[in-house]
Amino acid sequence: MTLQTMTQNVIATAEKPALSILDYSLSYKTANGLISALKNIDLTIPKGKTVGLVGESGSGKSSMAWSVMRYLPPNAVETGGAIRLAGEELLDQTPFQMADIRGRRMSMVFQDPSTSLNPTIRLGEQIAEVLMRHRGLTKAQAWAEAEVALARTGITRPKEMLQRFPHEASGGEKQRVVIATAFACEPELIIFDEPTTALDILTARQILDLFNQLRDETNVSALYISHDLGLVSRVVDEVSVLHKGVIVERGLVGEVFAKPSAPYTKQLIGAVPNPDRWIGVDAPAEPKTLIKLDGIGVHYGAPSKIQKMFWPEDAEKVGFWGAKDVNFEVRKGELLGVVGESGSGKSTIAKVLAGLQDFQGNLEIEGKTIGSRKVIDRAYRRRVQIVFQHPDASLNPRQKIGRIIARPLKLYGVVPREKIKARIAELLEMVRLPEEYADRYPHQLSGGEKQRVAIARAFAAEPELVICDEVTAALDVSVQAAVAELLVKLQKDTGAACVFITHDLNLIRQLAHRIAVMHHGKLVDFFDRPDARSEDRDPYTKALLDAVPVHTPVEAFEIA
Amino acid sequence: MRNFFSSPTAIMGTALLSIVLFAAIFGPMIAPYDPQAFDPLNRLQGPSLTHLFGTDQFGRDLLSRILTGAPSTVAFGVGATLLGVGIGSIIGVVAGVSGGWVDSTIMRILDGLLAVPDLLFTLLIVTILGGGMEHAMLAVSIAFAPGMARIARSAVLSVRTRDYVRAAVARGESGVYIVTCEVLPNALSPIVVEATIRVSFAIMIGATLGFLGLGAQPPSTEWGLMVAEARQFMFRNPWCVAIPGISIAIAALGFNLFGDALRDALDPKRSHG
Amino acid sequence: MSWGYFIRRLLAVFLVLAIVTFAVFAITTMLPGNAAIMILGEYATPEAVAALEKQLHLDQPWYAQYLSWVAGILHGDFGTSLRLSLPVTQVVGEAFVNSAMLGATALVAVTITAIPLGALAALKRGTGMDLGLGLFSYLGTALPEFVTATLLLVFFAAPQHGLFPAGGFVAPWEDLGGFAAHVVLPAATLGLVLMAHISRQVRSEMSEVLSSDYIRAARLKGLTERRVIRRHALPNSLAPAIAVISLDIGYLLGGIIVVEEIFAWPGLGRLLIYALENRDLPVIQAVTLLLAAVYALSNLLSDIVIALLDPRVRYA
Repeated sequence: MTLQTMTQNVIATAEKPALSILDYSLSYKTANGLISALKNIDLTIPKGKTVGLVGESGSGKSSMAWSVMRYLPPNAVETGGAIRLAGEELLDQTPFQMADIRGRRMSMVFQDPSTSLNPTIRLGEQIAEVLMRHRGLTKAQAWAEAEVALARTGITRPKEMLQRFPHEASGGEKQRVVIATAFACEPELIIFDEPTTALDILTARQILDLFNQLRDETNVSALYISHDLGLVSRVVDEVSVLHKGVIVERGLVGEVFAKPSAPYTKQLIGAVPNPDRWIGVDAPAEPKTLIKLDGIGVHYGAPSKIQKMFWPEDAEKVGFWGAKDVNFEVRKGELLGVVGESGSGKSTIAKVLAGLQDFQGNLEIEGKTIGSRKVIDRAYRRRVQIVFQHPDASLNPRQKIGRIIARPLKLYGVVPREKIKARIAELLEMVRLPEEYADRYPHQLSGGEKQRVAIARAFAAEPELVICDEVTAALDVSVQAAVAELLVKLQKDTGAACVFITHDLNLIRQLAHRIAVMHHGKLVDFFDRPDARSEDRDPYTKALLDAVPVHTPVEAFEIA
Repeated sequence: MRNFFSSPTAIMGTALLSIVLFAAIFGPMIAPYDPQAFDPLNRLQGPSLTHLFGTDQFGRDLLSRILTGAPSTVAFGVGATLLGVGIGSIIGVVAGVSGGWVDSTIMRILDGLLAVPDLLFTLLIVTILGGGMEHAMLAVSIAFAPGMARIARSAVLSVRTRDYVRAAVARGESGVYIVTCEVLPNALSPIVVEATIRVSFAIMIGATLGFLGLGAQPPSTEWGLMVAEARQFMFRNPWCVAIPGISIAIAALGFNLFGDALRDALDPKRSHG
Repeated sequence: MSWGYFIRRLLAVFLVLAIVTFAVFAITTMLPGNAAIMILGEYATPEAVAALEKQLHLDQPWYAQYLSWVAGILHGDFGTSLRLSLPVTQVVGEAFVNSAMLGATALVAVTITAIPLGALAALKRGTGMDLGLGLFSYLGTALPEFVTATLLLVFFAAPQHGLFPAGGFVAPWEDLGGFAAHVVLPAATLGLVLMAHISRQVRSEMSEVLSSDYIRAARLKGLTERRVIRRHALPNSLAPAIAVISLDIGYLLGGIIVVEEIFAWPGLGRLLIYALENRDLPVIQAVTLLLAAVYALSNLLSDIVIALLDPRVRYA
C-alpha cells in the first residue's frame, strides 16, 4: 500500500459521514395502489453533527426514520437509493446483521415514552438488556452500568428508578430512561423521533437541555425529527424541510430561517406562532364584564354529605381538586387566554363555563348568579358555546355536516325553518368551506376542516362567548395558523368574546388581550398581554415563558 | 360497505347464511319427499340418487327432513336472540344512560345472573316452564338477556363520553334527544354484531335442548331432535346423525362468520380508510 | 400483591354467590310438581303427604325455607336427596370429583396445545398455518358438543374397531389405563371448543401485542427475536388469554352436562339431568350452586393470576 493510498484511506474514513442517504425513494402498497412516501431523498449527517428533519403530518418524516432503522411494514416498497451508516450500506444487511447494528451502532428515541416502554418490566431491566445483548455484560454489570447511565441523564435517585415500573415514573423520567437506553452502548447515530411532543412544556425544556448536554459530552451524531420548527432551531446544526415526501429545502438552520427559499418553508415559518406578531382583534373599547367566575372550585372524588358532616377535615383531603378558588372575569368582545400545563385545571374551567361540570362557587352572568350546574338553563347555554380539542370526536360520525350545523339553529330557533338551509350555506362560507360539504359525512373531511365545522356549529347559535378548549392542539402547524386566524375573523364579525385555552404560550400571545395562568388547579397569574415579560410576573409564568422555544433561531445562536 | 366483501370471512359467512336462510324460507316447499313418510324397506340407507342424504331409521328421507326442519331451527335461533337482545338492550341502555345507583344495582344483579352458565340457566328455566319449542325459546332469551345487557351498557358508556355527546349536553339538548339521536345510532353497531353472533349460539343451544328432549318434541324435524332419535343407530348408518349435526354447524357458522365480518366492516377505524 | 385488591374481589365473589343462592332457590321452588307427592307416589294418602311435607319443611313460608337452606349450607349440610335418600353432600361430592377429573383433563390438554398454537399463528400471520387455525377455530365454535360427541363416537368408538369405549367411567386409582381410555373421547369433545376459543384469543392478543410500540422499541434496541417474544411479547399476551380461559370454564360447565350424558360419565352434569327429571330439589339446588361457585371462583383465580402478571393492576 502506498503512502498516497494510506493517506487517502485516512482522509476517507475521517470524512465519512455518520449517515448518508442518497437518492432514496419509498412507496407503500395500499388498496388504492402504490402510494409514494419518500421521493429521492438526499440527506447527510456529518460525524458529530445534528441534522434536523422538519415536516408536518403526512410528510414522511416517520417513514424516513423507519427506513434508516430498516424496520418497515411488509407493504413497503423501496424503489431505489442508498442508506449508509459510516459508509456501510444498510440496505444490504440481513435482518440478523441489522439486529446487531440496532442498539449498538444506531439507536432511537421515541415520541411517547408511555407506549415505548414495556409496562410489565422494570425500567432497570429495559436498560440492562441492551447492555447484556450488545456488550456481553453480566446481569450485575449491566445493572450497574444502567445506574450510571441513568445518573447521566439527570435522574436524582437512579438506583430506585431502576426498580420501578413505567407507570410509577413521570413522563419526563420515562423519557430520560429511553434516552439513557439509547445512549447506553455509545452508538454512532441516534435518531430522535419527536421526543418532546408528548411532554409538558417545562419537562420538554428539560429534555431539550439534556439532549444538548449529552450531545456535547458524547459527540454523537443525531437525526432530530420534529414538526416544530421553532424547537428544532434550538438543537440542530443543519435542517432539512420535508414536504409530501420531498426535501424542499436544506441548509444551516440559521440561514434557512433567515432566508428561506422554498415557498413551503416560507409558509411553514410564517405559520409558526410569533408572540410579537399580533393577529387578534382590537381590545374592546369599554371593558364590560360578561361572565364572572367567583371562587370556582371543582372537587373530583368528592366525599359524600355524610363524610362531610362527620369528618370535615378528612373530607377536604379526599379526592383531588381540579380547580380551586378561581376568580376572574371575561369581558365582552375580548379574547381571554387560559394557559397551563396538563393537569393545571384549564380544561376543567372550560367545562365549568360550558355547563358540563359540577362546581362550587358562583358564576355571575349579567346580574344573574348561578350557584350550581343544575341552574344553568338553555338560554345560558345558547350564549356560551364550546369547541373541543379533537376534531374526530366532536362531530357525530353518523350525521351529515349540514345536519350537525343545523342543530343549534333548530334548537335555539335562531332562524325560521325556511331559512335554515341558507343559513347553513352562510355559516360554511364564514368558515371558508364549500357549500357542498353540507352533504358530506365527518370522516370525509380532514382534521382542520372538521375543526372548522365545529367552530361553525358553535357560532351558529350566535353566542356571546365561545370557549375554545385546545382547539389547535391536535392540528398541524400550518392548519393551526389558519384556524386561529379564522377564529379571530369570526370574533371581529360577530363581536363574541372568546376564552381560548391552550398550552401554546407563543400562540396565545398573538391572540389574547389578557392571559390567565393556571397551575395545579389554581389561578397563579393574570395579566394584560403587553405585561407578559414584566418583572411582576409569577415565577411559574416566567419559567413557562423561558421554557417555550423562541421563534427566531438568531437568539438561540447568540446565546450558544 | 363496498369493502365488506373483500375478506374471505365475509364471503364465506354470506354464502353460508344465504344457503341457510334459503333453506329456512323455501325448505318445506322444495322438499322432495314427505318428511314423515315411513318407508321401512329403505331404512338406514346412505346417500344415493333417490335419497340425496340417505334415509333414517324409519326410512324417512333425510334431505326432506332437514329442509323441513330448517325453518324451526333458524326461527328458534333468530327469535330467541331477538327477544333476548330486546330485553337485554333495554336494560343495558337504561343502566348505561342512568349511571349512579341505578347502574350499580343493575350491574350487581347482572353479575349474579351471569355467574350461572348459559346452558345451565336455560335448563333450569325450561324445566320450570316445561318442554316445547316456545318455552325453550323463552328460556334461551332469558339466559341471553344479562349478557346482552352488559354489551349494550358498555356500548352506551363508551359513546357517552365522546365529545359530540358532551357537545350536545353543552348545547342544552334534552335527555331524550341525546339518547335517541346521539348515543343510540352509534351504540347500535356493537349490539347488532353481538346479536348476530348470538344467533349461532341460540341455534346450538336450541339443538342441544332438542337433543335432550327438552326442546322440540317429536314428530318435529328439528335437527337436534333428529340426532337424538337416530343415536342408537349411529353405528349402522352414521349419516343420520352426521347430516343433521353438520347442518346445525353450517347454520351456526354462517351467522358467526357473518357477524364477525359485520364487526370488521362497522369498525370505525376501518371506515376512515 | 395488594391485599386490598384480593379482599375486594373475594367479597365480590361472596356477594355474587349470595345472589346466586337466591336466584337458584327462587327458580327451583318454581319447579312444578310437589316434591312430597313425587317421592311417595300419586296414590299416597293426604296424611302421609302432609307428614312428609312437614318433615321436609315444605309447609313453611318460602323465606323460612330459604334461610334454613342457607343456614344448612353454611354448616356444610345440603340436605338429603329426595330420590336417593342419601346426603346430598355425599352424592354431589362424588359426582364433583368425577367431573373435576374430566374437566381438568380437558383443560390441561387444551392449555398445553392451544396457547402455543395461538402464539405461533400470531407470529406467522397470514400464512397457511394461521388460516388453517382460523378455520379450525371457527368450526370449533359452530359445533354443539352433542354433535362433536356423536361424530367422535361414530369415528372412534364404532363396535367394528372399538378403538375407544363408547362411554362409561373407570376411576384412575383403580385402573389408570382404563381411565385414560374412557376419558379421551369426552375430554376431546369438551376440548375442541375450548381449543378454538383459547387459541383464537391468544392469537388476537398476541397480534395486538406484536404490533405495539414497546415491541417495536424492543426490536429496535437490537434484541434477539427470541428475547423479544419470550420476555416481552408472551407475558403480556398471556394475561388476556387467561381471562378467556376463565370465561371458558363457564362454557365448560355447561358443555359438561351434555357430554356426561352422552358418554355416561357419572359426574355433576349427569346428576343434574337426573335430578331435573326427578324433581330432586336439594340436588338441583346444590349442583347449580356448586357450578356457579366454581365459575365465580375461577374468575377470581384468573383475576389473581392477571394481577400477578401485570404490575399495573396489582398496585391499583
